[in-house]
Amino acid sequence: MRRTLQSALLLGLSSLAAAVFQDEVDDIDFHHALVGVPQVETTFFHRPKKDEKASYLYTLSDVGILGAVNPNSGALVWRQQIADGVSNGGGHLRAPEGENWVAAAYGQRVQSWAALSGRNLWEVEFGGEVKDLEIMELTESARKDVLVLSEEDGVTVLRRLHGALGTTVWEFREVSKDIPLQVSTSLTNVYVVSLHGSPSSYSLKVTSLELATGGRVDHWTVGTKGEVHESKDVMFVGANSAAPILAWASTDLNKLNVHVLGTKTKQEFPLLADTVSVTIHAPHLIQSQPHFLVHIRTATGNKGEVFHTDLKTGRITKAYELPLLPGLGTFSTSSEGANVYFTRVTEDEVLVVSSDSHSVLARNSLDPEARTGAIHAVSEVIKKAGGKEFAIRSATVTEAQDWILIRNGKLDWTRYEGLSGAVAAAWAEIPEAENLAKVLAEEAHTNPWNAYVHRLTRHINDLQYLPDYLASVPTRVIESITGGAVLVSKTEGLHRDSFGFNKIIILATHRGRFYGLDTGNHGQVVWSADVFPQFLGAVLDVKGIVVNDSEGTVTVRGSKGEFAVITVADGHILEVHYGDDSAVVSSTAVVGSDGSKWLLAFDQDRKPIVDALKDRSLDQTIVIRDENDIIKGVKFSDEDGQVARNELWQLQLLPGQKIASIAKLPSHDPIASIGRVLGDRTVNYKYLNPNIIVVAAIDNAADALSVHVVDTVSGQLLASQVYDGVDGDKDISCTLSENWYSCAFFGQYTLDDGTNRDIKGYQVVVSDLYESPNPNDRGPLGEAETFSPLDPVDTPTGVPLPWVVSQTWIISEPLTNLTVTETRQGITNRQLLAYLPESHAILGITRHGIDPRRPVNRDPSAAEMEAEGLMKYTPAIQIDGRNLLSHERDIVGVRGILATPAVVESTSLVVAYGIDVFGSQVAPSGTFDILGKGFNKITLLGTVVALTWGVVILAPMVRRKQINRKWEAFL
Amino acid sequence: MELPALLTLFCAVLSASASAAQISLAVSLPAKPNPFLLPPSTHATLSSLHKRLDAPLTTVNTFNFHNVSADSYLLDVHCATDTFQPLRVDVGEDGAVKAWETFRGNEWGNKGEEVPVKSEGESRRGFSVKALGGKIFFLERPAFSVLSILKSPMILMGIVTMGIVFGMPYLMDNMDPELRAEFEERQKESPLNAIMGNAQAGQNPLGNFDMAAYLAGSGKKEGVKR
Repeated sequence: MRRTLQSALLLGLSSLAAAVFQDEVDDIDFHHALVGVPQVETTFFHRPKKDEKASYLYTLSDVGILGAVNPNSGALVWRQQIADGVSNGGGHLRAPEGENWVAAAYGQRVQSWAALSGRNLWEVEFGGEVKDLEIMELTESARKDVLVLSEEDGVTVLRRLHGALGTTVWEFREVSKDIPLQVSTSLTNVYVVSLHGSPSSYSLKVTSLELATGGRVDHWTVGTKGEVHESKDVMFVGANSAAPILAWASTDLNKLNVHVLGTKTKQEFPLLADTVSVTIHAPHLIQSQPHFLVHIRTATGNKGEVFHTDLKTGRITKAYELPLLPGLGTFSTSSEGANVYFTRVTEDEVLVVSSDSHSVLARNSLDPEARTGAIHAVSEVIKKAGGKEFAIRSATVTEAQDWILIRNGKLDWTRYEGLSGAVAAAWAEIPEAENLAKVLAEEAHTNPWNAYVHRLTRHINDLQYLPDYLASVPTRVIESITGGAVLVSKTEGLHRDSFGFNKIIILATHRGRFYGLDTGNHGQVVWSADVFPQFLGAVLDVKGIVVNDSEGTVTVRGSKGEFAVITVADGHILEVHYGDDSAVVSSTAVVGSDGSKWLLAFDQDRKPIVDALKDRSLDQTIVIRDENDIIKGVKFSDEDGQVARNELWQLQLLPGQKIASIAKLPSHDPIASIGRVLGDRTVNYKYLNPNIIVVAAIDNAADALSVHVVDTVSGQLLASQVYDGVDGDKDISCTLSENWYSCAFFGQYTLDDGTNRDIKGYQVVVSDLYESPNPNDRGPLGEAETFSPLDPVDTPTGVPLPWVVSQTWIISEPLTNLTVTETRQGITNRQLLAYLPESHAILGITRHGIDPRRPVNRDPSAAEMEAEGLMKYTPAIQIDGRNLLSHERDIVGVRGILATPAVVESTSLVVAYGIDVFGSQVAPSGTFDILGKGFNKITLLGTVVALTWGVVILAPMVRRKQINRKWEAFL
Repeated sequence: MELPALLTLFCAVLSASASAAQISLAVSLPAKPNPFLLPPSTHATLSSLHKRLDAPLTTVNTFNFHNVSADSYLLDVHCATDTFQPLRVDVGEDGAVKAWETFRGNEWGNKGEEVPVKSEGESRRGFSVKALGGKIFFLERPAFSVLSILKSPMILMGIVTMGIVFGMPYLMDNMDPELRAEFEERQKESPLNAIMGNAQAGQNPLGNFDMAAYLAGSGKKEGVKR
């Protein structure tokens, strides 16, 4: 290590660990730790400790994260990703009353988690998808059990699982064509509700089972007159309560049918004339009164109707109505003992009514910032000791997909949960200095006198800011001395800084909402815009996103033909075109011409969507991957108004191969040095070809990964490697930069060097491309300044092929989403960035660590260390915590990492998006052009002052002494 | 993410055939670091070709893998705060489980010490992992401190020299006259005098040292004794 340190020092520009200093946390980086947008049916308040009043807020969100949030602060207590990858809704979450665990189900898996610590209690996996999960509150013993309803190949299976162990107590199987819907319990029975019949006219089938054994007791069907077509038409509420109900609205939404489980009849109730949606809210505790509330939303307003169920007869009667109020409004149920409270969040108020009577128990007017258009809410109503006062907390999901907590009408906290599920991101400059640039350009184009007058007036105009500036000087000086080196400007809002650290991150989520985050302000949300609202179950698939910095806009293309132009500074939608299912955009290409970039979209047949080419010429070769995984280089030409496609080359994979990853050069990839100086002062010339891509193809049957470097102009394979024993089920990721590329995968194979040694583990391969194997030699290129891949150089049939130096490392964890840092001039070392899905962290490995030229089986010579910073090759890379850009942060579900240069050469800005959003600044070679926080101005000033004082004090002393001496000499 | 689906399918096939190699593994944590303080995101994975099993940390500080099929697995414990030793876990067709320490960057056959595997019931095996220490995430900033400057040998040498330069005249002044005479006598013989020329004894030799003349190479100075 000492050696490496030494060589690093010698190199001057490199530091091996790109570690973060503790005092830089939250200064250079930010992190939105998200749970996703909560779903109303899987969100609740629950007490994690049996004997304490404090409760946490639990949710299973639409992205498949189970999280516990402290309702006092909005801070995340714990979270677990229970879906594989980012889901789009679904899942079940229940908590038993008075127990310290929660049970969750997603897909085929059922898990129980400790409510306080977020640790697992048990986990079971079944052969079919879990349709419903319910807690069995009353069992023959003191414990509470879990009921899991699942469908396994057409068989309805209900299992009762032991609450503490997760073992199956009993199992009920029914072979039928019914679609299992719900499960509920009562004091005496377990009810299984399923859809019976054909999709045109389903009827509801209720099967009652014995609690203790799961034996069938009875079953009956309830006719729906063809009003139920799919499972989500049926509303089921109050599971486990004294009177669970099933309800469905008629097709024209003018009446509501309600069936109380346990009875054999249904009742009808009229709805408002212009009803658009109906939801039902009911308590789910057995001791609660059997009351429920029907929430009716019309196009303009909403109202509530409260019904009471007579437990003996099963008759439902309407108790009272809550008035029709404008806006969406939400209702939520909370129960305390037998009392049931309904909390209503209207546009300007929060009010609580008891289920017994319509008198308002508590009424709080909403703070202006809390009036955000609530979509759904969960509430906790606590009667304060001794009084008539109530404490009301409502965790509300707003139209803006934020999760806010309203406590007694005041906004307590806001969580930007809509940021989760990001599918695309882009970096944008803050369009501010552009104005000055425009003014200057304007001045340059007018005649000198006008320009002079214009400039003079502009400067006089600027004078008005002078007093403010002068007034701010003392505070700025003091701040710059005391508050560390990097001056934090107090300017509000979006503003550029001289280092170029302040930029806007544009995020597009799968819900169709777009966000602008300001990196200068800890990644705060600057704007959000619902550009492409998605219907239930649909997700936005962004095929292309490109930022036009000169205009300050971002252009987006979605897979269904969605198209939008948004301003980056405020999210204003300039142009939007909603897609439809008929229009398919298979992919897009970013085409740069005349200094601007635009998106070229391709339809299903990989033909450009015509209007894109109307007023633009296109002379570049475009690489297309078609539906059969054939990679083609095509050119488009305009022939009589028709776009003609000329295929130049194609790369067809071998049978059985699939493309695992494609890497292309970053759009900003400046090369500081065209060669690499070796230890003996010779130079290896880098193979620098701007038209290359890396294609990794996996053969899943043979477990072989082929990595090809392809010239995109000629289609020539420049280099090719095959790795055996590569697992195609695990993530394979590649990246390409400058003259090197890297791939990460899981490999298990036997070495073919005759030693018969097995290798198993996650690996990262790095390959360098040079012009020739010999130093100081450019191979066939010789003195040529340019070369064309279409013109052979030395032989009539050959093209100059790069010389590849490759090396593999075993790494302690899988790496995904490989990316390379980008800096302004490319002088700074590059760093390989990757997401560690197992550790939930972002890793940055400096190129020195994964240099393929690291000498094997020998120590590097001093000259090699000095010139190239080489270390001896070690086959394993143990990931050190100091190499993690995300240090202690827990970053979940990263889908992409994006780097962009700052103004200063040393630093690259990085954002990782997916479920969480994490942004940071990386200085792979250290912040050599910034006085960082390590530069202590107080010490410097102290030293200067001390030296000045030393001189001031010592000078007369010395003078006196000299005079004395001269006198002594004469005496 | 087709893997879990595949796995379940695989498990389903296994359970259908009710084969003997349907093993559950319980991996337990050592007493240090305190396993109750580990974050809930801690989990363990078993990986092999086309297989990946994941187990979250339970309340009793174990990782439970269910339906582990026969293979040779790499066991990793992923924890945000601590590192743990990776293990090689071999599950045999007959349900025999063996575990060894493994070394990354070495061939798979290079096994370390065998980890004892306890049999807990018919199909459940348990063993524990070893902790390798806590993770360090942050670089220490070199802090400015007066002590660190004083510790530097250059500064120490400077201080000693300064002590001699400033302390010597006082020492001489306080010296007994006879001793001083003796000392001066000896100083005259010292080779230092060659440099000092005929500087008067008792006087600070630097007081009238003619640097210009010395550098010019002239041994004797005329101007001083005017």
